[in-house]
Order: sequence, then structure tokens, then C-alpha cells
Amino acid sequence: MKLSINHRPYDIEPVPGETLADLLRKRLNLTGTKIGCEEAECGSCTVLVDDEAVLSCVYPAERAAGKTVLTIEGLSSSEGLHPLQQAFIEHGAVQCGFCTPGLIMTAYALLRRNPDPSEDDIRHALKDTLCRCGGYPSIVRAIQSAAHHLRTGKPLQPPILVKSHGRSPLSFDPYFLEGERDKVGNCNVVGTLQPRPDATAKVTGAAQFTDDLTFDGMLFAAVRRASVPHAFLRQLDLEEARRIPGVVAVLNADDLPGAKNHGLMIPDWPVLVGVGERVRYVGDAVAIVAAETQESAQQAAKRIEMEFDLQPVVSDPVQARQPGAPQLHPDGNLLKHIKVRKGNVEQGFAEAEVILEHTFHTAFTDHMFLEPECSIAVPTSDGRMEIYVGSQIPYSDRAEVAAALGWSEDRVRVIGQLVGGGFGGKEDIAGQIHAALLANATGRAVKLSFDRRESLLVHPKRHATQIRVKIGAKRDGSLTAVETELYGDTGAYASLGEKVLTRATTHSAGPYEVAHVKADCYAMYTNNPPAGAFRGFGVTQSAFAIESMMDMLAEELCLDPLTLRRKNAMRVGSVTNTGQVLHESVGLVECIDRVEEEIRRLSPLIPPNAASLRPPFSPLKMGRKGVEKPEI
Amino acid sequence: MGFLWQQYIRPASLVEALQALCSASGPACPIAGGTDLILDLRQGRRLPVHTLVDVSGIPELIALEERGAEIFIGAAVPHNRIINSPLVYQYARALAEACDLIGGPQVRNVATLGGNVAHALPAADGAIALLALDAFAVVASLDSIQSTQALTTSQTRDVIMTRVPLLNLYLGPGKTALKTGQLLVGFYLPLAARGQGSAFTRVMRAQGVALPVLNLAVGLSREQTIITDLRIAIGPAGPIPLRAHAAEAVLRGRPLTSESMAESETALLAETHFRTSPQRATAGYRQHLAGKLLAEALYTAWERAV
Repeated sequence: MKLSINHRPYDIEPVPGETLADLLRKRLNLTGTKIGCEEAECGSCTVLVDDEAVLSCVYPAERAAGKTVLTIEGLSSSEGLHPLQQAFIEHGAVQCGFCTPGLIMTAYALLRRNPDPSEDDIRHALKDTLCRCGGYPSIVRAIQSAAHHLRTGKPLQPPILVKSHGRSPLSFDPYFLEGERDKVGNCNVVGTLQPRPDATAKVTGAAQFTDDLTFDGMLFAAVRRASVPHAFLRQLDLEEARRIPGVVAVLNADDLPGAKNHGLMIPDWPVLVGVGERVRYVGDAVAIVAAETQESAQQAAKRIEMEFDLQPVVSDPVQARQPGAPQLHPDGNLLKHIKVRKGNVEQGFAEAEVILEHTFHTAFTDHMFLEPECSIAVPTSDGRMEIYVGSQIPYSDRAEVAAALGWSEDRVRVIGQLVGGGFGGKEDIAGQIHAALLANATGRAVKLSFDRRESLLVHPKRHATQIRVKIGAKRDGSLTAVETELYGDTGAYASLGEKVLTRATTHSAGPYEVAHVKADCYAMYTNNPPAGAFRGFGVTQSAFAIESMMDMLAEELCLDPLTLRRKNAMRVGSVTNTGQVLHESVGLVECIDRVEEEIRRLSPLIPPNAASLRPPFSPLKMGRKGVEKPEI
Repeated sequence: MGFLWQQYIRPASLVEALQALCSASGPACPIAGGTDLILDLRQGRRLPVHTLVDVSGIPELIALEERGAEIFIGAAVPHNRIINSPLVYQYARALAEACDLIGGPQVRNVATLGGNVAHALPAADGAIALLALDAFAVVASLDSIQSTQALTTSQTRDVIMTRVPLLNLYLGPGKTALKTGQLLVGFYLPLAARGQGSAFTRVMRAQGVALPVLNLAVGLSREQTIITDLRIAIGPAGPIPLRAHAAEAVLRGRPLTSESMAESETALLAETHFRTSPQRATAGYRQHLAGKLLAEALYTAWERAV
């Protein structure tokens, strides 16, 4: 079939079942087009076909016959970057960079149709081109700036900068508090435009993420996962998988040369669950396959037969602590009981004029970084192993891979790749060890890339919690005591559960000065997916509970919620729940002031000292655009 | 796993397409936008196919034009073209509104109205709008496999074109009545006359590109302050898109007042069977929304019917 790609004619032999994304990425090595979901949801794979933005992951390659395809690699010319690319760099619209090619292509298609888009037009066009780093304001500004340049021929408008000296163009200067600027002196960097070093590569599609790499003779890996939450593996049959054409190696727990478990804090997570051993969550790996093609590897993994003795499931942390609950680890279900004590809560509640108590629940949350996990292990001729992976903790990866191989750490080199979003979700081992084991067994490079489903299934989440808060206060709003009891669901394995839930516990009375505090947290193992690091690191959950409680208390006391917070806010000189004296730069009262300023700017109708700032609930307006409830 | 498909054919005419569907050396399936089909194949929600017959290059299937007292919209016309068509905007506003909410912008550039109907989901936005707009579907097949000659309305070479009421294309959720060897060609909608208006409205999960929690479309005719005729379509309220006959009957011949609307809502709730779907909404929530959507769509269509 003949087609044009990036202004060049191609004559290509069609391959059955090939999508345009596969043609571009795998056959033509145009890896600027990314695969984030392969489900027509995320927009990372957006390219233009005959001038219209399409999702190349669900676009049959043969459908492009006779058509004109434009990818991110075709956007810049000999004269330099396209104004959109330049504007993305200058406006800081590039963060992890994984979504950037899709965003630029979507924006390019928009500007072809609409040279002068409003912010609404831009957001509408970008509805399904997701940036998980959350850089939309700068992305919108970059697109507007490029549009202006393309329309008028005038130079790209740079972003509005907060100058490090001289008057700030904004109403307040976010970088410096009153009087602190002088301490810093003249800044040469803060407040100036500093494009990130990798931005140009990320806007041209030249930036390579792990899945964009290939090595000579590289094999593809697939993992057979238990798919049951709690069981003993009774039997495993690998024979059929070994017979699939193209399969080079099939390994199970019997083939482990080194450590049987991995784990960031506690090695409680089996590299592979062996026959007779316990499966603790659906994502537990039972066997791994390396094959000449990804299709063969996946087909072989499916043919691995498993038999289980199913066990009763522990599905929440409260159940996990009850007597008689199935015990998931040798030391039971309690990972850690975390305690914080300050003053005497009995006395605090005795002093209170109002006492409220409520229990809050938060759910598991996924990081949903746009780049699914990928690891490539490459054995070197001098007997070492190189691991290519976009990881948040490469040194820990090295230690864990070395342990699993039974090697000293100096034989393993982790070559950190670009991280297409992490947010805490790329701290634990995903495919690093499995790729290394297969590379070691075959002597060849092995790539293990997760699709979105496997990514969601396997990697640790934000802890689901149950948080009971009991709060005591005087009528004037001053807090006298806070007692919290947290149950944190750390799932099947510890990961960073202890650290995360320690933060949740120490912060469970909020950023407020309270004389009497008692907090208890039970970090519990369950048969849910493991929970680990996630932005906020435990405080997200406890902040939700305590801040909800503060709103309830404000309502009970007929106080403005902001006044209540200001009254109890920690200041310089305050002592935290763990006894730390805050010597400088606490910032909370200033933060509350700014928030109030913004609330009043955005909602001028809210009367001062409103008892509640909650907007009226209107289900009709949820998730819909521009439709108002009719008044008849 | 194997390949998602073995053979990909791009016929230039209806006859070629129908012949390709009938003569393929394995299971064959038409593909228009493919944004649902490819995912269904990849995720194993559909039996594997051998041959995909791409209908997006067949002139009749990508026509969008006025034909006599009707609008014809080819089954392979992408949503994006429908949204931007002045003809659709003027005469079938509900359809433009519905298509503008399907998928995301990139999906709407390739996904088609025909696919929206052929996928046979009970709450497909395009189908709900078509139902309220009194649309007829046109189905093509080759001479030899068509038995009911009585339905034949026109004939070109060996291709038989049959005009069928929209709901005849539905067997159940996700099950189309279209048979192998039949091809959905397009839809005929009456041109809205003076005093006719339509509207589409829906509620969906925030940020979602998936199916709606509930959607509803109204097409109505009015003479001054009286509703002379109307059609209400709602989904998901049963195994296939639902025509709310009882809710319509209450309003026919009456003015649009809060009383008549309340009665219509009561009738609507009595004839719908909402279910709780774990991913989207409870039956109770849908019940709560139905009346609101009805009021909103009725009011908008009423305002437009001038």
C-alpha cells in the first residue's frame, strides 16, 4: 500500500492485524507516537490522517492507504521547531513528556481548523488527550501563544514571569513572603525562563522512553499472573507453553537463582509464587516467558496451566484485624501498629464544650501515569546485567535485581530512562527482576512491557483507609483534643506501607495546634493489590478526614470554616503532635489567607463569615457541558 | 493470540463490499470507524474475524445530503461531519447534539453513526437521537440472500435496499439484527418543518468517554401552545433503545405545563425499567434523573419548535 508519512511517500507491504501505531512505532521506528492505554482513551497515540486527529492505536494501518499521515516527527522542518513545539518548551508545558507528542498533534489539528481558539475550544479539543502531570494551564497558554504567532506573525509570547527583582506583575509574589526577598538577594535563576534540558527532545518525539528502545536479538517477555486473590498454588504445568513456536524460556519459582522475595522495606513479595506457596493478590506472578515475539510470549503465558486451592479472601483492613481472619503472612496481618501520643486526650475531651465523632473512608487510587511500566534487561559480554527502566528509585532496583539474581550489586547496572509519569507508582519492582531473570536464562536482551491492564493490576496503589476522628473544641472554636483511629489497607505486600501510614497517622490531627492528641493506626495486610507510595504519601487520606471534620465542626459551631482553621493553625513556635517545635516558615496562616482571597475573588457572592462554603449540590450539572436546568 | 484480522479489504462500491462479506474465506465483518470494533476484538469481547471490510470509502455510505423531504446520512459518515453539518443542525438538532457527545474529539473524527447503531447498545447517543427523530434505516444485501421481496423499495444491480424502522435493527443489548451479508447503508430522517424541534440531553460520569448514565431525546411538533405530536427516546431503559410511548401520549394535544410534564414523567417512570450497572449508576439514580432529563429535553425542543 502507498501512503505519505511526514511528507515522504512510502510503499509498504501490509501486515495482518497491524494498527497504524504499530506500523509507525515498530516497523518505521517513529517512536514519538506513544502508547498509553491502547484503548482509545488517553490520546497519547494521536496522529493526523488527512489533516484530522485520530487515535493510531485503534486505526487499522491499511486504512491509511492513499492517505497522508503526519506524526510528531514530521512537525519540525529544516527551519527549526514548529511554533507549537517552541511554545510548549517556553511555557513549561512539557513535564514527563510522554503525553507531549499527542498533545501537540491534537493542538496542531485544532489550529488547522480554528486558528484563533478560545480556552474553551482548546480544552474541548484536548478532552481526550490526557496530561497526567496536570500541566493543562501551561499547555493551554502554550497553544494560545503558538496560535497568536501563527495568526499574526509576531514573535511567540513568552509566559508571564514573576521577576526575581523589581515589581511583580501578579497581585502577589508566590515565591517570596513579605520581607523575605531581601534575604535571598539577587536571583539569576528563580523567576527567569529556564527551559528544561530535555524539553526539545520531548516536543520532537526524539525523546525515547524504555518501550521505544530495541536491542539486537531482543526477546519479549510475558508474565502469568495468579488472577485469584487468595489461594495456594497446587499445581503448575508449563509444558504447553514451552511448545508454543518462538518461546525461548519459561521460568517458575524453582528456577530462581537468588532471593525468593523482593520489597522496598520488607522482602515479603514473592518474585514468583511457587507450587505449595500462597498467592496473596490477583497480580502475583507465577511464571514468566521469553519469546521471539510479543504475541508468542503472550500466547505462551496464557497456556500455562495453574491449579489453586482457593482460600477465604481478606478484603478490608478492619476484617484483617478481626480474630479468626485468615493470616496472610508468617507474622500475621498486622504490618505495624503506629501510635502518636501528645498530652492527655481524656483531659482534652473533658475540657471540650463540643465533641464530634465521625468515620471516613477513602478508596484505593491508581497513579495512572501515562507510560505503562517497561523494563529491558541486557546481559553484557563481561557477565553483568544492564537494566533499562524508567524508575523512581534506580538504586533500589539495582539492589533488588542483584539479590534476585544472587549476584553482587556491582554486576548490575540500572540505566535510568525517562519516567513517563510516576507519582510514587514507579518505586516498587514491576518487571525489572523478571526481565533480568529471563535475560540471565537466555543470554539475550529481554523486554517486559506492561499494557494498561497489567499496569493497573500489578503496581501498588494509594492506601485505602478507614479513619475515625473524634474532635473536641470550645465554643469559640479552639480545639482541645483530637483522637484518631486509622485502618490502612496496605494490600498483599508491605511496599512502603509502614512509611506512608506513619505520615497518615502523624498528620491525622491536621496542621492544627492541639494540646491533647492520640492517634492509632493499624497498617493491615489484605488480599487487595499492594499499596505504597503515592503523592501526598498518606497525608491525602488523613487530610480528607480531618478537614471534613473541621467543616462539620464549623457548621456545628456556626463558625466560618476558614476562621476555625485560622484559629487553630500551627504557627512559628507551635509544637507538632510528635513534639517537633516549628522554628520558622510555617506558612499555614498565609496559605489560608491566600485561599480565602481566591475563594472571594472567584465567588464574590459568598457573604463574609458564611457558615458553610459548600456549593449547592446539583447532579444535573455533573459531567455535562453548558446545559443549565430549565426554569419553567 | 494471533492477528486481530487476516485480511483487510477496502471496497469502492456496495456490491464489492457485499460480495466481500459473502465470499470471505473466514468470518467477515464490516468496519467503519472501528473505534469499538478493534477494542472488542483486541479484548476478546467478540469472536475473532478473518476479514474486515472497510466501508468508509463507499460513496453511498459517506453521503450526507437532502433527498426530497428527507435528510440522508450514510452509515459511514463520521460524527464530526454530522456535528458540523448545517443541514443536520437545522433539521435534526438532537442528532448533532448527540454526536457531539460521543467519545472524544479524535474518536469522533473516525467513529460513525452506522457503527453507533450497529453496535446495538441500548443507550448509544446517536441511536437515541435517531429514534426521537423518526429515522428509518436502510439495509443493503445481495439479491440471493434476501427473501422478503415485499419490503423491497429500490433495486440497483443485484443489491437490494430495504428500508426498516430503526428498532428493527435491535435484538438485545449489543446484539444487532443485521445478518452477515447485510450492510447498514444509512438513515433517512424527515426534514423538520416549521413548528418542529428536537433536543438531546444526557448525564455521564465526569470526564468519561464511556457510555452515558442516562440519555434522552425529544422530537416534537407544536402549534402555538399545543404539542401536536412528539417522540421521546431514552436509554438505557431496557435491552434496546426505548421509545417512551406512554410519556408521549400524555403530552400529545396538550400544552407544555408543569402539570402535563409531571404526568408525562410519571408515565415515563412506569414504562422504563432502569437497572443498576456497577460501573455507571444505580437504578434509583437513573429514576431520579429521568424526569429531569425529560423536562430539560422537552423544554429545549419546545423552544426550538418555532
